[in-house]
Amino acid sequence: MNELERALVALGRELAVPDAPDLAPRVLEALDRPTRAPRPRLRLALVLAAVLVAALLAALAIPDARSALLRFFHIGAVKIEVVDELPTVAPDPPELDLGSALGRRVSLERARRTAGFDLRELADPPDRVYLGPRGTVWFLYGRPDAVRLLVAQTPKLWIDEPFILKKLAAAGTSVETTSVRGGRAYFLSGEPHEVLLLDEYGLPVHDTLRLARNTLLWQQDGRTLRLEGDFSRDEAVTIAESLR
Amino acid sequence: MLAERARRGDEHAYGELVRAYQGIAFRTAFLLTGSADDAEDATQTGFVKAWKALPRFRPGAEFRPWLLRIVANEAHNRRRSRKRREALGLRAAPEMASGGAVPSPEALALEDERRRELLAAVNRLDERDRDVLACRYFLELSEDETATVLGVRRGTVKSRTARALERLRGEVAS
Repeated sequence: MNELERALVALGRELAVPDAPDLAPRVLEALDRPTRAPRPRLRLALVLAAVLVAALLAALAIPDARSALLRFFHIGAVKIEVVDELPTVAPDPPELDLGSALGRRVSLERARRTAGFDLRELADPPDRVYLGPRGTVWFLYGRPDAVRLLVAQTPKLWIDEPFILKKLAAAGTSVETTSVRGGRAYFLSGEPHEVLLLDEYGLPVHDTLRLARNTLLWQQDGRTLRLEGDFSRDEAVTIAESLR
Repeated sequence: MLAERARRGDEHAYGELVRAYQGIAFRTAFLLTGSADDAEDATQTGFVKAWKALPRFRPGAEFRPWLLRIVANEAHNRRRSRKRREALGLRAAPEMASGGAVPSPEALALEDERRRELLAAVNRLDERDRDVLACRYFLELSEDETATVLGVRRGTVKSRTARALERLRGEVAS
């Protein structure tokens, strides 16, 4: 610490900061106790979501069995065909330099070394890999101006479920609750523009979607994963469950 | 552990947490807003919001920087709503600590003048510079804590602090 820094510390200890009032009684009085339990409408939404998950699980029973069979025989390439068949999508807005927006371009090997967690990967390597803010690793399939699939994974952002269920749906984004490997996932369609995630302190982080297309969002193995592309819900779930 | 008990919904434990951290929380809010009223409001609201966010608080994480970030966000919101930037100034205490041996009246006056000049220079900095200096030196937070409170990376705290100190040197010299 140099002389100027020491002078600042000394100055800080002599500033006229008023004594803190005792806020505990007022804070405790202001605590909105009913918000700790799910509110009735939210509870209804959660119940409906649970019913929807059960229905979807039943509907997806056959594809799940097929996926398990494919995994058993290691026929991963079958799923990659889904990616290859996806139509390409331009960034949104079209003039967006998607490569720069995603972060720093690195090799897949470097991403594996520096991510700080085991990356989940498809059988085929991505065409480009980027390291973005908050430790996010992006896999891009296709080209930045013609994207087939974006895969994002970050260990530091979490899904804000009430926001997904209520606010995004109210804003015109279609939100379907589905399942990836038995865990809850959200399929956003209808030109979604943003997701609200939570950082490691539970504080909200608004994240703009890179493609104004469909998005699958779920948590798995201590991270949040996101697919963006012009895919159906079932295609997205198939791709998601192909990540190893 | 109080934070863990509070996270499970124990209001009594949360009351203890409020009393334990209200001093540093209020000081943080005051240094960011320059207003006792705004600081009190930001601190109280911050504690209420922190309670609501506690279910998302990761067990094992440090409570202090997590709380201070919420309070700092509230303080920033109130500061943004102010029209007059100059109203956010800090004031030196009327009674300066002398420290050590009894200095001469002339030495005391000179020291007092130097501190007032330094404080005036701090107040001339823009908000970004002043915030990082306030966190690092007035609140004496670590780089990691400062990064959490300001919502930036640790590397950003280092570079921002270096630039703020450089600009402060320029202000003091001018």
